[in-house]
Amino acid sequence: MQIVLKRILQLVFVLLGICVVTFLLVHMVPGDPARVIAGDRANPETIEAIRKSFGLDQPLWQQFVTYAGNLLSGDIGQSMRYKRPVTALIGQFIWPTLFLTGYVICLAVPPALALAIASARKPGGLADQIIRIVGIAGMAIPVFWLGIMMSRFFGVALGWFPVSGYGKTFVDHLHHLFLPALSTAIWMVPVLIQSLRAALIEKAGADFVTAARAQGAGEREIFWRTILPNAVLPTLNLFGVIIAFLIGGTIIVETVYAVPGLGSLMINALLARDYHVVQGLTLMFAVTTVGVTFVVDLLSALIDPRARL
Amino acid sequence: MRQIKSFALAAFTAFSLSSALVALPAAAESVIRIASVYPATTLDPSRSGAAGNIEPFGQLYSRLLRRSFETGELEGGLAEKWDVSADGLVYTLHLRDAQFSDGSPITAADAAFSLERVRSDKESALPSPLSAVESITAADPKTVVIKLKHALAPMLANLELWNVGIVSKADVDKRGVDGAFATDPVTSGPYMVKEWRPGEKLVLAPNPHYWRKGYPKSDATVELLEVAEPETAAAMLKAGEIDVMRGVNWAQVEDLKSTDGIDMRMEPSNVVFIVLLNHSREPFSNLKARQAAAYALDNKVLTQAITNGYAKPANTPLPGSLDFHDDAYPGLVADMDKAKKLLEESGMAGKEVKIILGAGSTNQQTGLLMQAQWQAIGLKPVLVNVDTPAWWESTGKGEYDATPTWWMNELTDPDLAVRWALCGSCDSHAFNTFYDNKKVNELTEQGSREQDPKKRAEIYQEISRIATEEVSQIPLYYSPFPIAYSKRLKDLKMTPAMQWTLEETTVTE
Repeated sequence: MQIVLKRILQLVFVLLGICVVTFLLVHMVPGDPARVIAGDRANPETIEAIRKSFGLDQPLWQQFVTYAGNLLSGDIGQSMRYKRPVTALIGQFIWPTLFLTGYVICLAVPPALALAIASARKPGGLADQIIRIVGIAGMAIPVFWLGIMMSRFFGVALGWFPVSGYGKTFVDHLHHLFLPALSTAIWMVPVLIQSLRAALIEKAGADFVTAARAQGAGEREIFWRTILPNAVLPTLNLFGVIIAFLIGGTIIVETVYAVPGLGSLMINALLARDYHVVQGLTLMFAVTTVGVTFVVDLLSALIDPRARL
Repeated sequence: MRQIKSFALAAFTAFSLSSALVALPAAAESVIRIASVYPATTLDPSRSGAAGNIEPFGQLYSRLLRRSFETGELEGGLAEKWDVSADGLVYTLHLRDAQFSDGSPITAADAAFSLERVRSDKESALPSPLSAVESITAADPKTVVIKLKHALAPMLANLELWNVGIVSKADVDKRGVDGAFATDPVTSGPYMVKEWRPGEKLVLAPNPHYWRKGYPKSDATVELLEVAEPETAAAMLKAGEIDVMRGVNWAQVEDLKSTDGIDMRMEPSNVVFIVLLNHSREPFSNLKARQAAAYALDNKVLTQAITNGYAKPANTPLPGSLDFHDDAYPGLVADMDKAKKLLEESGMAGKEVKIILGAGSTNQQTGLLMQAQWQAIGLKPVLVNVDTPAWWESTGKGEYDATPTWWMNELTDPDLAVRWALCGSCDSHAFNTFYDNKKVNELTEQGSREQDPKKRAEIYQEISRIATEEVSQIPLYYSPFPIAYSKRLKDLKMTPAMQWTLEETTVTE
């Protein structure tokens, strides 16, 4: 209970900081949302009228007070260009991103586990060398380039997968998001392997392993019950960071595959100076990051009672 | 531990399931999908002049006049016929029997209301086509009377513009402006809105009450998709996920041309690419420095290098497709020696030139060429990259020296074009160049009032000559719209005024 309270308090400060910083940043970047709304040929009077209707003619501090007031009453605002609540837009764009994130986890975790174990079993062995070299290649390939190449090959040339969109049914989603998820997983798997492999090798030589062996435990039992749970902890933390990053940061993959997710929403909002959408999304990402870290901490405690929260 | 195992098992199952999902047959439904980089941001025709909005406005709202897709001539739209008083001050338009998408009749009150919003609403994006109007009234349910402050030659053409589409007064009264145009506006054009997912797609369905009976010819729904990345759009087109790709990159043209089932076309447009120069500060407040900059850019070579020769080098700062344009006028012909000499005489040699570049590969390429050429004559060009909103802010405030960009005129009549790009006393600051020539300003007013086409031709050619010689902007090239179509579509094209001919389109499955 204390943990939860501590977390919530932490969250409040994080959010407060995020609010102020995002507000200042988006308002200080040059560019006028009214110009984006009215278009290139609009005259200065029109632009001024639009600015006024959004309260952008007021001093910055006054705009912040209004924004903060709305936020306290639970209103994260309205998109200036679509005239729709930011929550409705997030509701529209969040599902492809969540699905994609889940999909990436499903595609990345099993091979990462299997390969890390294979690699750590005989450090420096042939399997280890191959896995490490391929892993480095996987990390080094830019996601943007890989995405374009895969969509050209598997999508256009072979026609196996759609090259864009999200689809309507669950099966559709799996089909449409396969290439985007794979492009992301190819980068993520080596990162997880590296972390897990190092931990596995380190823990395999730990005192408690020797102790377990002395007590007569079988190698298989030692590995599954002693080494792996201990080694998985640091990777779990890394995994948490990656998940939080995926929810907010699939911009590249979403752009390459035209997936209508939060990344696309964010980049469009930034390019349109749609202030409330940018602020709302940043807040949401902050809450998600804190939330995911919290879950990871809980999981760590579950696996290892020593990990005090 | 068991948890991890079962999780891993579930993950493997998902992996194999998805791998087995390859090659599902595409569902056969009649949809025309058009991908564009330009987003739709509002359904209110008076509120935006951005490209992504102009295109759907034309499908949703009929105007009093329309332009024939075949001949390009003006003909009756919602107005069946019209009379113009001898002094050119009173336009009386007689409406035909027509209905909105909800089945209610389209009356003169609706027409007057729609035009009045464009003319006098504070948030109207482009009131200039109706700036000469004194009053708009509904004389009876079928007759609209427009009185002008002074005669205006392009008045009828202006009534065909995308933003003077007719909207339902009753609906706006009932739901308010924000409500009426939020998701499902009552429309008067060939299509109505089926679904709008902002930032993703706008789905249109044929309007069963459209006044042109038998149109749209196809009952297919139309999806206007936003696809930011041209590489992605090309892949989608090749994979059959879209039917039309708007804004093909010059580098993609050859590849799409050689792809089976794709018709890669260059549609004529009213677009001109230019370099804006800031006349409000040194070095380009100096006429000779501007001329030096212009003589240093060989736009024939530049056009070939950037567009692979698909565009035509420009001879004046106005779009080449406009009425009265003089194709034979040579413009300023590139000459490096002359450029160096002029720069020396101007006393601006060695001055720093801040070139700001908006997003996109064309801007980047043009910027690099400008930098190289201007460096060679003795200027000090510096490139600064910005995104679109920042570009507007810098140019609007005059915080730049030069920038490559493009614009298009909605009509072939030159009046609005001159007011936008060259007239210093109009409200655009001559497209943020702050060019201000008294003679040009006077000729602008004279040209719009003159009724004799021959005299108008002389006036606009004189304006073009003055602006070219004084280098109001540096003309680069006249670009077509490079658009790739699936061959299963018949009779779809984009008109020079950025309007799709979707109502004529048929689909062969």
